[in-house]
Amino acid sequence: MIALFAVTPVVLLTLLVGLRGVAAVRTTSDFLVASRRVSPLLNSAAVSGEYLSAASFLGVAGLVVKDGMGALWYPVGFTAGYVAMLVLVAAPMRRSGAVTVPDFAEARLASTPLRKLAAVTVLVIAGLYLVPQFRTAGLVLSVVSDGPYWVGVVIAAVVVSVTLAVGGMRAATYVQAFQFCFKLVLFIVPAIWLLLQVGPQVRHDAVHPVEFTHFTRDTPVDFGLEVTLLLDDPLTVTTADGTPLPIRAGEYRVAEGTTLVFPAGAPVPGVRGGAAPGGPDWQRPLLDPHDAGHPVLGTWAVLIATMLGTMGLPHVLMRFHTSPDGRSARRTAAITVGLLSVFYLFPGIYGTLAKVLVPQLYLSGATDTAVVALPSQVDAGSTGTVFTALLTAGAFAAFLATSLGLLLVVAGAISHDLVPGGLARLRFTVVAAAAVVVLLALPSARLDAGVLVTWGFTVAAATFCPLLVLGIWWSRLTAAGAIAGVAAGLAGTAGAIALTLFGPPVSGLAAILIAQPAPWAVPLAFATMVGVSLLGRPPAWSQAAMLRLHLRERRDTGPAWGRDPGHSSPVTRRSSATRRVIRRLGR
Amino acid sequence: MSPHRRVVVTSPQTRLAHARRRSRAAWRAPTLDPVEARQAQRVYRAQRAPALMALGALGVLLFGLPVLLDLLPAWDNVRLLGIPLSWIAIVAVPFPAMVAISHWQLRRAERAEEPE
Repeated sequence: MIALFAVTPVVLLTLLVGLRGVAAVRTTSDFLVASRRVSPLLNSAAVSGEYLSAASFLGVAGLVVKDGMGALWYPVGFTAGYVAMLVLVAAPMRRSGAVTVPDFAEARLASTPLRKLAAVTVLVIAGLYLVPQFRTAGLVLSVVSDGPYWVGVVIAAVVVSVTLAVGGMRAATYVQAFQFCFKLVLFIVPAIWLLLQVGPQVRHDAVHPVEFTHFTRDTPVDFGLEVTLLLDDPLTVTTADGTPLPIRAGEYRVAEGTTLVFPAGAPVPGVRGGAAPGGPDWQRPLLDPHDAGHPVLGTWAVLIATMLGTMGLPHVLMRFHTSPDGRSARRTAAITVGLLSVFYLFPGIYGTLAKVLVPQLYLSGATDTAVVALPSQVDAGSTGTVFTALLTAGAFAAFLATSLGLLLVVAGAISHDLVPGGLARLRFTVVAAAAVVVLLALPSARLDAGVLVTWGFTVAAATFCPLLVLGIWWSRLTAAGAIAGVAAGLAGTAGAIALTLFGPPVSGLAAILIAQPAPWAVPLAFATMVGVSLLGRPPAWSQAAMLRLHLRERRDTGPAWGRDPGHSSPVTRRSSATRRVIRRLGR
Repeated sequence: MSPHRRVVVTSPQTRLAHARRRSRAAWRAPTLDPVEARQAQRVYRAQRAPALMALGALGVLLFGLPVLLDLLPAWDNVRLLGIPLSWIAIVAVPFPAMVAISHWQLRRAERAEEPE
């Protein structure tokens, strides 16, 4: 019921706002980059709306419960990516006149194989990013409504693909900008309400965390997925229908879909692959995954992956192409830093409160739902229900906005770069891609959303980040070097992902470097690109191709250009026929 | 019928052409006029210095702060308004600093682009 109240308005508003952008979508450029008429403020709201995915809205607070205060470095890296984008990429990339990242690669280096490779990379990154969005949509809806998982996935897919197929980027722009404001309000207001409502004891506990070793009250825990608990002593718990269930010491496997009520005062069982929240390691503001003993390196690895990855995320780059010129693209990046900084002040509040109020979520591995689980813990009445509905609505808006952008780059990569086609093909590709993602998301309920998204960032950091930075700032880059570098980055990160999934368990330094390959994969990609480029010779035009990106666009309008408005080509380079037409028609 | 109704003004042929598959135009080597090339070279050089400075500041901030927090575990016990100082440091320091860096960089980059 809550889900219905929360999700229906979001879906309707999304479709309504989306339809406002439907007018005048007639060319590929209209569809993919909204005719390049989006102002910096609107665009930065849309960039932020698209970027604040489930990982930001729910994931960071969940990671705080699971991994500790160090998880607050993730939002820092997410925001730092836009500072790097502003400094290195935004304006020159917009000036290339490209529509997609593969387009940019071809415009700068004139290589069709590179374009195809870049398009495949786009599909890899978007796949890693899109599947967890749909998965989390399904999970959150199933938690608040007790409905099946697949319903949420299908609802998300239908809304996203209809909005996009009909309205393209213009619809996506309005929807994402609107959803940014929506998410900001729905994140900040409940946070303040929670802080005021919880009472002084909880506020005190939130900043003086103690390790979660004993249940303070009778605590029901829903195990949505199969979990293995480790018990030091025998324990008697109660099942959902009230029958007592004795558990012997040792390992105990909880079947999927069971609810167990742990009695007050009972010791908290251990979970394989996790430490109880609140311990001394939990309180350290650094990231030390797998207890490898290298907290600084672990934190740096996350910062490198998120910061450089943001710079290479194809759906974010595509949003910058909707700016009218390089200067507004740069301003968009600058405003985005400010907007994200406001939003990211709040996940820490949810995280520390969730540690006090719902620490048992770490047992079932459902820390992603910590944010939506909080209001009902604070207020069991109707006010709590209203705030649960508000947060669910915000979370659903987060999936929608991000999925819109990702689905658009998938469609662009397939039917603009791999097999160029017209507008009808683009619309069809959107729907087909959404169907494929639903099929991929249905069996992925067990995968950790945060891990998949971080891999998406890592792949982007090791492929598109070096391609863009060197393409814009180094005129000696050759097509062969770019292909070798992108391939090396892709192979390195894919190898590390495969090792994590199927390889033997490792520990210590190797564990960090395999789970977070960014610290070595990004330098590897840069080095390969530079090395192979230096072996070859850049073509004669490469200096001009690079410098062109730094040249400010001519103003199309204004007193100095009064005689031939709307023409971008310089007077000296027009054909005689064009000059004659301008003489006759131009005023 | 509302007064602001939009009507299609492209000819049917244009719409057909837009909908059809297009072979993309052959790639042409980019050229710059000598004047433009000189100006672009100047802008490129002028942009490089502030870009490196902004990146340097960002790097020191992001990679220095974890080292500082690792070296100063005592900050976990120093409290400001009841909140551990090290928790405040990862929220209240990076975000305002990044807003300041991007504001500064935006102004420098736009000034570098102004024609002489």
